[in-house]
Amino acid sequence: MTGRKLSAFIDAIVSGRRPARFSATPDDVEVLRMAIALSAERPGGAKPDEQFVSGLYEELKAQASARADPGFHPIRMTGSVARPIRMSRGRFAIAAVAAGLVLVAGTASTTEAFNHGTAAPTAVPAPHGKVLLTGTFESADHRVVGQIVAYPSRPSWVYMNVDVAHYSGRLVCMLQSDNGSTVAVGTFAVRDGIGEFSRAIPTEVGRLRGARLLTPTGSVIGSATFA
Amino acid sequence: MFRATQPSKRSEDQHPVRRDSDGAHLRLVDDDIYTDWESVYRDNVERLYRLMYAKVGNRPDAEDLTSEVFRTAFGPLRLASSKGEVRAYLLVTARTVLASHWRQRLGLAVTSIDPVSDLAYLAEPSAPDQPSSAPQRAGTILAALPERFRRILELRFLEACSIKEAAQAMDVSVSNAKVLQHRALQMAAKLAQDLGQ
Repeated sequence: MTGRKLSAFIDAIVSGRRPARFSATPDDVEVLRMAIALSAERPGGAKPDEQFVSGLYEELKAQASARADPGFHPIRMTGSVARPIRMSRGRFAIAAVAAGLVLVAGTASTTEAFNHGTAAPTAVPAPHGKVLLTGTFESADHRVVGQIVAYPSRPSWVYMNVDVAHYSGRLVCMLQSDNGSTVAVGTFAVRDGIGEFSRAIPTEVGRLRGARLLTPTGSVIGSATFA
Repeated sequence: MFRATQPSKRSEDQHPVRRDSDGAHLRLVDDDIYTDWESVYRDNVERLYRLMYAKVGNRPDAEDLTSEVFRTAFGPLRLASSKGEVRAYLLVTARTVLASHWRQRLGLAVTSIDPVSDLAYLAEPSAPDQPSSAPQRAGTILAALPERFRRILELRFLEACSIKEAAQAMDVSVSNAKVLQHRALQMAAKLAQDLGQ
C-alpha cells in the first residue's frame, strides 16, 4: 500500500500536481527527498508564476487594509489563548499572532492587554540591530515543535508558539542565560497540540542563550537556541 | 500597523529622510532597511518561493507554503527593520511552516530549512538567474548512476515524462519502469549522502 502511495506521490511531483498525503515510512524519506531534489532542478520550475505573485500581493494588501481599519481587532481571547479572527487557514494562526506581536508588542500595558483581552496591541517600530532574538524549538529527534522570540524593551518580552503533535496539557517554559542558569518563566496550556505564550521577563534579552519546553513531569518537549 | 496606504518607493526613489505619518519625528532610512510591507514582499517573494520549491518540488505546494509564510509573518506590524532581520525572521517562519506541512502531509520531515545554509536563498542577489550549484550536483549524481538508472531519472524528473512515456522510451513495461525508478532513486539518494549533500 505504501509503495503505491509513494509512487503516486512521485508521479504528482513529476507532473507538477499537489501530492496526496499518506503515512510515509522512514525508508520512503530518502527516496522522496531525492525525487524532490531532482524535480526542483528542472529548468524554469523555480520561478513563481506572475499570477500567483500578483494574487498573493492583492491578498496581503487586503489583509493590511483590514488591519489598518480601526474597527479591526486582530486577536480575540478564548480563555488564556489568543486566536486570530481573520485567517483563511487555521493551522498557522497562532504563529501569525506571534509574528505580529513579536514586532508590535513592547510595553507592559500591551502585555496586560494581551493577557486580559482588553485591547489590540499597539504598534511600535521593530527593533534595529541584532536585538531581536529568535529560536526554533526542536524535539530530541530534531522535529520542529515551535518558535520563540525574545524582544528587548521595558520590560523585555518572550513570545512563543508551539505545535506539538498529539499533546494536550500544560507546558513549562524555561529560559537559559549565558551564565548557565535557568529560570521558569511560566506555564501555558496546549490544546490538540497547539499553544502559545507571552510573558514579560526581568532578564536582559542579550544574556539569553536558549529556552526549553517541559511537561509538568519534567520531560523535555523541545529546546531552542537563540540566534 | 502596516503602512499600507503609503506607496512603496524605496527601490526607485531612495529618500534619505522619511517623515512619519503623524509627523512626530524623522528617521534616517538607509539601503538596508525595509520601510513597508510591499518592499518586503516584492524583495522576497521570489526568494521564498524558490526556497519552498526546492523543499517540496512542486508548484502548488510551493505557492501555498510561500503564501503561508507571508500571511504568518505579516502581522499588524509597523515595519522598520533591516533586510537581514526581516529575512532571518522570514526564514524562521518558513522553517516552521515547512515542518508543519510535512507533518500533516506525510507524518515525517522529508526536507527541512536550515537557518544558516538556507539563508543563501534569501540573500542577494535575487533571482532565478542566480548562479546555483544545484544542476551541477544533480549532474554529478546522475553521472555516477548506471545507464538505465540515469536514463529513467532523466526522463522522469528532468524531461517530465509520465511513467508510461518513460517506459516506452526505455522499451520496458510500466511495472519495470516503476521498479527502475524506485531503485534509481534509492541509489541516487545513497550517492548524495556519500557526496555529503
